[in-house]
Amino acid sequence: MKHLISALFSPMAFALGLLWPLSWQVIASLELAEAGLPAIVAGAAVAIPLGLMAQFRRSWIWLK
Amino acid sequence: MAQVKNTANLDQLSNAELDVLERQIAGKYMGKVPWGAVVWGLGNCAVFIALFPLVLLDLLPLWAAFPIATLNAILAYLPSHEAQHNIIAGKGKPLRWLNELVGHVSTIPLVMPYRVMRATHMEHHQHTNHPEKDCDIDLHAKSGIDFLRQTLISHQPDSGRRKAYPDCLERTGQSHLMLDAVMMNSAYLIFMFTMAWSGYAIEMALLWWLPKLLGETYITYYLAWAPHHPGDEQGRYRDTRAFKSRFGNLISMGMQYHIIHHLYPRIPLSLTPAAYRELRPVLAHRGCELGGL
Repeated sequence: MKHLISALFSPMAFALGLLWPLSWQVIASLELAEAGLPAIVAGAAVAIPLGLMAQFRRSWIWLK
Repeated sequence: MAQVKNTANLDQLSNAELDVLERQIAGKYMGKVPWGAVVWGLGNCAVFIALFPLVLLDLLPLWAAFPIATLNAILAYLPSHEAQHNIIAGKGKPLRWLNELVGHVSTIPLVMPYRVMRATHMEHHQHTNHPEKDCDIDLHAKSGIDFLRQTLISHQPDSGRRKAYPDCLERTGQSHLMLDAVMMNSAYLIFMFTMAWSGYAIEMALLWWLPKLLGETYITYYLAWAPHHPGDEQGRYRDTRAFKSRFGNLISMGMQYHIIHHLYPRIPLSLTPAAYRELRPVLAHRGCELGGL
């Protein structure tokens, strides 16, 4: 249970849970990529590196 | 309680008489149920919750809902703050249930668990500006700009701010309250993730995520930073200051008079300006920092 809660509150979970769909839906709304798979992939390209940075460097903005 | 009637020259009063006079004045403003805060707390949360179906059913455009949600988040804390201090109704009083209801419900937009906020806030009152025991000490900053810089840092995964309340609860033997925080934040995250993956990520970002961040920052600036700045003194009359906000009392949410709240936490927020005006000569005599107010 403790591991599950830690995972839920982790930066990576936030990136995958909110930032990924948010990026893809913004990209699709602004027509920066075609809606559907291209927008989802583009969203992942934005959110996953951000999540990895926050998870391992412990900062969303690189600076600490 | 002994009565002090001649208040013309405070220099002639002993410390004990000054204490009596101060309490006489403060006593006039305590013991009143702040019905405005009750309506404010419950109404504000109801409006916030209503925004979700209104936006998702296309009855309200998102661009209009975003500022309303942000205002809801900004307004969410203070009614709960009244409840934390048992101002609506103390333990054993008939309206106690209402006090607790307002406390729990009003902070929903901010995802702040009432019992955690109450426990840590009491510690803040008891140890204001203490470098180790004040759980809000890390909100101090050299200037308003520095406050914003610190806010950015405090939102990073390993910031000290994230540990301040859990550490405070552990120190005071109230760690069990963290369960409230875990449950409330888990529910918030699961709701946000589910909605985002259902195609409503932009709506969730502008209805809850960003308003919550903006609301927290606004509240922290006016409630925690401004009234305690520079935060380097302790003691009843020196740990909190009055200040004159360039944006007025409404925008600063009554926090210009926060010194009254720290001296007499049972005075409702709406009555702190009047209490301040009457207590001002006593506070000046005590050497309080009144910031030209």
